This record gives sequence, C-alpha cells and structure tokens, in this order.
Amino acid sequence: MSKIVDLKGSILSLTVLNLFSDQIDETKKAIAAKIEQAPDFFVGIPIVLEPQITLKDPTFLALLVEYLTQLQMIPIGIRTEDEAIKEQAEYAGLAIFPREKLKNRPKRTKNEPEEGLKTALMVKNSVRSGQQIYAKDRDLIVMGSINPGAEVVADGHVHVFGKVMGKVFAGSSGDTQAKIFAKQLNPELVCIAGMYQLSEDIDESFKNGFIEISLNDGKLVFNPGLLD
Amino acid sequence: MSRVIVVTSGKGGVGKTTTSASISAGLALKGYKVAVIDFDVGLRNLDLIMGCERRVVYDFVNVVQGEATLNQALIRDKRTKNLYILAASQTRDKDALTQEGVGKVIDDLKEDGFDFIICDSPAGIEKGAQLALYFADEAIVVTNPEVSSVRDSDRILGILQAKSKRAEGGDEPIIEHLVLTRYNPSRVETGEMLSVEDVTDLLNIKLLGVIPESEQVLNASNSGQPVILDEDSDAAHAYMDVVDRFLGEEKEHRFLIAEKKGLFKKIFGK
Repeated sequence: MSKIVDLKGSILSLTVLNLFSDQIDETKKAIAAKIEQAPDFFVGIPIVLEPQITLKDPTFLALLVEYLTQLQMIPIGIRTEDEAIKEQAEYAGLAIFPREKLKNRPKRTKNEPEEGLKTALMVKNSVRSGQQIYAKDRDLIVMGSINPGAEVVADGHVHVFGKVMGKVFAGSSGDTQAKIFAKQLNPELVCIAGMYQLSEDIDESFKNGFIEISLNDGKLVFNPGLLD
Repeated sequence: MSRVIVVTSGKGGVGKTTTSASISAGLALKGYKVAVIDFDVGLRNLDLIMGCERRVVYDFVNVVQGEATLNQALIRDKRTKNLYILAASQTRDKDALTQEGVGKVIDDLKEDGFDFIICDSPAGIEKGAQLALYFADEAIVVTNPEVSSVRDSDRILGILQAKSKRAEGGDEPIIEHLVLTRYNPSRVETGEMLSVEDVTDLLNIKLLGVIPESEQVLNASNSGQPVILDEDSDAAHAYMDVVDRFLGEEKEHRFLIAEKKGLFKKIFGK
C-alpha cells in the first residue's frame, strides 16, 4: 500500500547569505554585484539569511526578503539566536534555524580501545594496594600481580599472570559464565557474578599453583588441574 | 641534567629522613651538587638530622610564598661540600605549599646547576606527600621489613604511577628504587621479620640496598649528622652501597645474613 504522506528528517545543503551590514541600500548593492557575476546560478535557489551583526532597523528583514524575491531567489529562513531578529523574521515570514553548536566530543581516555573493538583490557604491571581497575564489558588481563588491598573488576573473564592477593571480581554485571584464571591464588576475595568467597573459606590446596575458578549451580568451583 | 628524587614510604617512622640525609650526603661526597628539601612542613626533622637546625633563617615555605629568595634559604652543609639543605617551616602547615610554588623552586634549583634534588616526603598519602612526589623523576621507597610498612609502600607506589607529573603528562614513568631499612637478619631467621625476598616479591621493584638495624643510626641522628658519615658503622657502609648502586654501580648486597657470634663475642659482647 502506498503512503499518502511521510515525515522524514533529512539533511539538506542550503546557501547561507551572511549579513555584515545593517544598511539596506548598501546590502542591496552588494547582493546585486554578486548576482551579476553569475545571474543564472541564483535563480530559484533557497536562501538562508545569517546576520553577523545586530539589525537595528526593524524593516530591514522585510525589505531584504522583498528584494531577494524580486531577484527570483527564495528566502526560506534565518539563522540567529537574537530575540529581536527572531521577531522581525516572524513578520517577514522566515523560518528560524538555530545556530550550529560546536559539540564537544568526549575525549577518549588512554586505556579505551577504538570504538567497536572490545578486546581485553591489558594491565602490564602489578595492581597495587589502593588501586582499582574496571574492565567494562570486556575481559581483563593482568600481567603482574594483584597486591593486597588492590581490586580488579571485569564484566568478562579475569586472567592474572602473577599472584592474586587482593580482590577479584569477574562477570560483575551478571555473566555467570565468566571465569577467573590465576597463576597463583591467595586472595582477599574472589567473586563471579555476585557469588563470592573469602580467603579463609578457600581450601588451602587451591592456594599454590595455577587455578581456574568458575561458577556452577550458584557455587564457586576451583579447578587446579587445567594445565595438567 | 638534574635529577629530582623523592624519598617516600607511605608509613611514618621508617627512616625516610635518615635515608634522605645519608643519600644526599653520600652523593655530595661523590662530588655532585645536591639540594635536599624537607617537605614535612610543620614538623621539620631534616635540619635536626643534618645538624643545622640552629642555622635556619628562611625556610622552604618562605621561598614558596616569595618571602625569601632561594639563595637566602639554602643552608650550606658544614661537613660536606656541595650539599645544601632547604628546611621545612615549623610554624606553618602543609597548606602553605602550592604546586606552582614547589614547581618554581625545583626549576630554580635545576637552573642553579644542582645535579640532584632530593625531596624528603612527609608520611601519609595526603597533599604534602603528593606534592613531594609530583615533580620526581625517580623515587626511593623506604620500607621496613614488616607487613604494614610494605603495604603502605605498595600504596605509595600506586600513587607514584598515577599522580605524578610524569604520569599526568604521559611521560616515561618514574624510576622506582627500594631501600629496606631496620633489617635484622637474626630476627628474619626466627620469623619475626619479613625477609628481603618477601618484600621484593610483593613490591616488585629494584632493590637499592638493605640497611641493617643499628644503634649507630639513632646515635648519628641524635648528634645531628647523617649516619653515612660515621665510617665505623655497618649502616654507613650499607648507605654508601646504596649511593653506589644508585649511580649505576653493580655491587653485591650485604648485611643479609645473621652474623654467627663466636664464643669470644658471646662472652665479651661486641
């Protein structure tokens, strides 16, 4: 079935006429001079006015619109933030466009990868007491140790190539499949998807050598035999 | 090129000021031009240990606040050539120091041709300690062989990596060295103290030296001279080794094993 009407946003390229004078005669002359250079080009083109000065003469816009129409141009709107000019524009039958704003793009912080690429967050040294590392929406790899008093958190898995002596959280936004791998484990706390265990509740036999920790049936499972 | 070195620890009373005094005196003995700044505003210890507390007219805070020039405030050491001390103020508190002010003093010292600028940090991790480490190129972390001191050193190492000028500017990170003080090998053997390995295992930075626990350290401090100048003491030798290693010499670590006391020594003491 075909539609009768359809509203859609679209970005169009328009010609903007910058105004640097509030004298109508002077402005008319300048426009005429411009058109003389390429008369055909200006016929029927939509024009947006953009005053770069304050327009004191209240009839300025109306006169200018009339003049542009005579020259077969189609003034469609005005771009301004000035309240007085907006009022004039209403009488002259012009649409009002807001001025372009310079958007401050949020600067990317050092550790974040290019957009779209979500590889693991890599920490090259040890994580020291009092430091906290969060790998949002991804895995975390720590090349050094996690010292006592340090905290590492990842939404994905956590891999530690040194000793774990601080706190480790994997699957912190609820991923129950997340795992923790560590070269050696003697943590203050380990936690996967909210299920945690303190050091004293972890069997001593898991505290020397490589260990894999996963979550199974709501319980933390320690597997030292992965590399055997 | 001047090198700015912070002597820091996190925990108090571990021997920062003793280490600052001895290392700066040691570097000056080697012929380098050295300035040592006391950042412990409000307490003022360095001038006591250096034996110049009666010669302080203007202090660090006066210079930072523009009340005195650097040359007026720098105290020339009487024993060691090329060694200058910038004392802390006893009457002000740490808020009297500003980052710009400290930065200017350090820049001026660099311009004056000092080879080493040693910043003796106050204890803790607050403003005073952060200011002391902010401009550093290298750090000497002083630790005692016990758990809380090692943990605090770990913490301050984290701050060195995060809050220094080098870290903020994304430059080469601060070079970190470890000095283990108050080490007593016989107490390590009995398990009362952490061993060198325990400490370096956790902190994982280069060990510059181990200073044995010694009465002479206290004596030297009380008599107002850096212990490194007391040539009869083990601590002085240990600090001299630290200075040599700091300057890039390879030297074997000493004072790590308990001396076996023979029968003669047992009877007659030392």
